[in-house]
Amino acid sequence: MSPVSQETGQGASTIHEVLERVCCAMHIAEGFLPPAHAVAWGVASAPFVVHGVRSLTREVREHPESTLLLGASGAFAFVLSALKIPSVTGSCSHPTGTGLGAILFRPPVMAVLGTITLLFQALLLAHGGLTTLGANVFSMAIVGPWAGYGIYRLLRRYDVSLMVAVFFAAFVADLSTYCVTSVQLALAFPDPGSGFLGALGKFGSIFAVTQIPLAVSEGLLTVLVMRLLVQSSKGELTRLGVFLTGRKTAAAAQTPSARTDAEEEANR
Amino acid sequence: MLPIDEAAHSSRWRRRHPVDKAVLGLGLTVLAISLPPWPGAALVLVTALTTLLGPAAVPPRRLWRAYRVPLGFCATGALPLLVQVGGPGGFFGLAEHGPQHAAALLLRTSAASLGVLLFAFTTPMSDLLPRLVRAGVPAPVVDVALVTYRMSFLLLDSVRHIRAAQAARLGHTTRAATWRSLAGLGATAFVRAFDRASRLHQGLAGRGYDGTLRVLVPETRISPRFVTTSLALLAALVTLTLLLPYVLERLLP
Repeated sequence: MSPVSQETGQGASTIHEVLERVCCAMHIAEGFLPPAHAVAWGVASAPFVVHGVRSLTREVREHPESTLLLGASGAFAFVLSALKIPSVTGSCSHPTGTGLGAILFRPPVMAVLGTITLLFQALLLAHGGLTTLGANVFSMAIVGPWAGYGIYRLLRRYDVSLMVAVFFAAFVADLSTYCVTSVQLALAFPDPGSGFLGALGKFGSIFAVTQIPLAVSEGLLTVLVMRLLVQSSKGELTRLGVFLTGRKTAAAAQTPSARTDAEEEANR
Repeated sequence: MLPIDEAAHSSRWRRRHPVDKAVLGLGLTVLAISLPPWPGAALVLVTALTTLLGPAAVPPRRLWRAYRVPLGFCATGALPLLVQVGGPGGFFGLAEHGPQHAAALLLRTSAASLGVLLFAFTTPMSDLLPRLVRAGVPAPVVDVALVTYRMSFLLLDSVRHIRAAQAARLGHTTRAATWRSLAGLGATAFVRAFDRASRLHQGLAGRGYDGTLRVLVPETRISPRFVTTSLALLAALVTLTLLLPYVLERLLP
């Protein structure tokens, strides 16, 4: 990783240098998995991607302008994963962007956008691979977004504040991505002494050292980004269906008496 | 434009049909992971490297810059195979056949990566994406991928300029300032992406946009000669992999 100049703050003078910093540790490299595993993970990912493709196709047929918005969302997801964030331990790494992506665009669409992004990363940056695309899609475009979105919806249902829900969504999405990657590697390369569990411990501990602090960092960054987005792009967020108010708050806002109470409370 | 895509646009095989190059490049990748690492993956590695630097004329420096990324991951990923947890040797120790397994894995991944790089370094994304419709990918998905591809470069360029502007305003001097700048960068990227999409839509709507992005694709034909030669090369590699151990066994008793 090239050093960041303190004077200019720029370690990246070209696009490639920016992109070279996309975290390669989260991608399983080309040829890393045995053929049977590569096919199995591809088969496991297929239903989710097909479901995402169907919902995307339906959306584009109903609203032709969505093609451009979805393309912009894909480009945003691609660029987001290229940002370099300071980790709590002092090192630097890159966010997966799956938590924020899932909140903004929903997991089915993220399955497609994630697949497109991973295909670009495999062919344009040599990150990840085509034979391991199924495995990478499963961890980064399916499990990460679904886990993050699940936590987000759960917390919003119990009226937890938006930013706390966003933090935990990004944290869980990031961490679950790496947990799944560890499981994938442990299944492919079981430990000669203790089998799958031993291998899971080996790969998991390697990831845990770097990824738990990184997941915290990603959660913090996502909260900061979301705070700015709520201020500057409320219209876009509402159009994307982001729940800016919790369920209870929204229900309370709809009840006239409750609204009056709330207004009185605010006036006080 | 990204270096691999830039090299693909100026490649000697630029005018060849993507299917020609997919048969050779992706065929080599499939062989690398399907054949035994020794001598199969080693033969694939040598063949892919020779093709990349020879007939495909990929600049060695560019190839190395792209190749070192997957190599780094493979080396890190192979390290856990050297050790084992539990077993008769204690809680933590060296795995019995660890070095052999790690070497086999390194050989397989490095050969497979070169196969994909052969395809990527000779096939521009703009040639590949529109043709995916014929391969059965729904047109709306291909359209979204095309917009993503084209918008990524513009957005990355914007991000680079925003970073420079933030740095000029001492936005990276302290830890708090760095976090604030990063958040601003992410949020601005979102705003810029959506603003560009809406302006693009207005421009296209004025030109009678009906939901389909029509792009010109250079007309090329699949070369039966190239495909046959590639298939013959792949078949030769399989035969050689199966025969070589017997030959070596006889020569080296």
